[in-house]
Amino acid sequence: MIAAAAFYLFAAILIASAVMVVTARNPVHSVLFLILAFFNAAALFLIAGAEFLAMILVIVYVGAVAVLFLFVVMMLDIDFARLREGFQRYAPIGAIVGGILFLELVLVLGAWTFADQAEALRIAPTPPSPVTNTEALGLLLYTDYIYLFQAAGLILLVAMIGAIVLTLRGRPAMRRQNIAVQIARSGSVAAEKVPVGAGIRELGIRRPPPPEETRRLAEPAHGEADHGERH
Amino acid sequence: MVIGLAHYLIVAAILLVLGIFGIFLNRKNVIVILMSIELILLSVNLNLVAFSAWLNDLAGQVFAMFVLTVAAAEAAIGLAIVVIYFRNRGSIEVEGISTLRG
Amino acid sequence: MTQPLLADYFPILVFLAIAGGIALAMVGGSLLLARQKPDPEKLSAYECGFEPFDDTRRRFDVRFYLVAILFIIFDLEVAFLFPWAVALGDIGWFGFWSMMAFLGVLTIGFIYEWRKGALDWE
Repeated sequence: MIAAAAFYLFAAILIASAVMVVTARNPVHSVLFLILAFFNAAALFLIAGAEFLAMILVIVYVGAVAVLFLFVVMMLDIDFARLREGFQRYAPIGAIVGGILFLELVLVLGAWTFADQAEALRIAPTPPSPVTNTEALGLLLYTDYIYLFQAAGLILLVAMIGAIVLTLRGRPAMRRQNIAVQIARSGSVAAEKVPVGAGIRELGIRRPPPPEETRRLAEPAHGEADHGERH
Repeated sequence: MVIGLAHYLIVAAILLVLGIFGIFLNRKNVIVILMSIELILLSVNLNLVAFSAWLNDLAGQVFAMFVLTVAAAEAAIGLAIVVIYFRNRGSIEVEGISTLRG
Repeated sequence: MTQPLLADYFPILVFLAIAGGIALAMVGGSLLLARQKPDPEKLSAYECGFEPFDDTRRRFDVRFYLVAILFIIFDLEVAFLFPWAVALGDIGWFGFWSMMAFLGVLTIGFIYEWRKGALDWE
């Protein structure tokens, strides 16, 4: 009874927030509603008994993917009003396609029943009660589904390398701290006692450059983030 | 009143339709299109989990886990492409992206 | 269905209800009970008495984004580690080496990003 009430509540919020994701005027609001949708989907997973997936949905999606979306929305200063042109124009055709699809899905659902041999066709029956959901998944994931598991690892590797290749720009002007050199440095540069009255240049010590020159040197390093993205 | 499989399937169907509707509606804004794709994949996961629960078959949950992985990787790469495209063009309109071919 | 599992999570539902109820009561109460006479000066952002200089929306550097992507990837890797750790006693050496291969693949990516300097910050 409580589970049923909770299901209806979470399902209603899930669908309402999904509507807001696609219709919100401001993409920041879209992302926030997406987070709400994921939370409620996690609650629905929990009601269906998929405990581990519910937690993963919260950790990975709410914790990481939604933050990534938020980053991108905040990172690009986009004229969002202009992107909404054609909103009215595309709404009817979207509604028609969506409506037809929904009707078809309802028709399928109305005419569909479980096959008689569905029980016998199960691939990985859920183990009985003392085995928790997480443990049951662990028993399957790394042995029976090892190829898919390794493929998932490769997909993650491709995503990682792809992200680096796409977004990492070489910064030749960037100065890195080379710790090994720093530590291994001998006393070649050290404090030196300068006799009073002697010119620094005569002793071979370089003066720091005058202030305007330092600013000119420092500028590319700081301004690059801005200039690079503009054009 | 007991929650049955049909309840889950209806919710997932509505979510799927909303995701597809969102792609049509925001067809200029790549970021919202990516969010709609996330909604579609979420509805797929909801279906997988519901069938897994009602058939007592864990394979559905294993596949939902892989779908989650692929969806996260897809979002990461998709957004990386959006970022790089915005840096080069200064806009994220979908119509402009179709000129990239060739 | 899985009633015992849901019984475990019932306190969280109660917590959610209480938290939502309190939040709603606070916001709704102040909306209903407080006297409200809005005018443009009251509603504008208050910034130490002078006009706001700038839009608060600032673009930030792409490098934050790269760090976020790498975080997602390793987050998923850790997500795969949880069931493995729970079930390790039963899946034996095969499961162990299966996970080691997975981690090895991701370590290749980690070495790659380290060498490319994706983790450096000036």
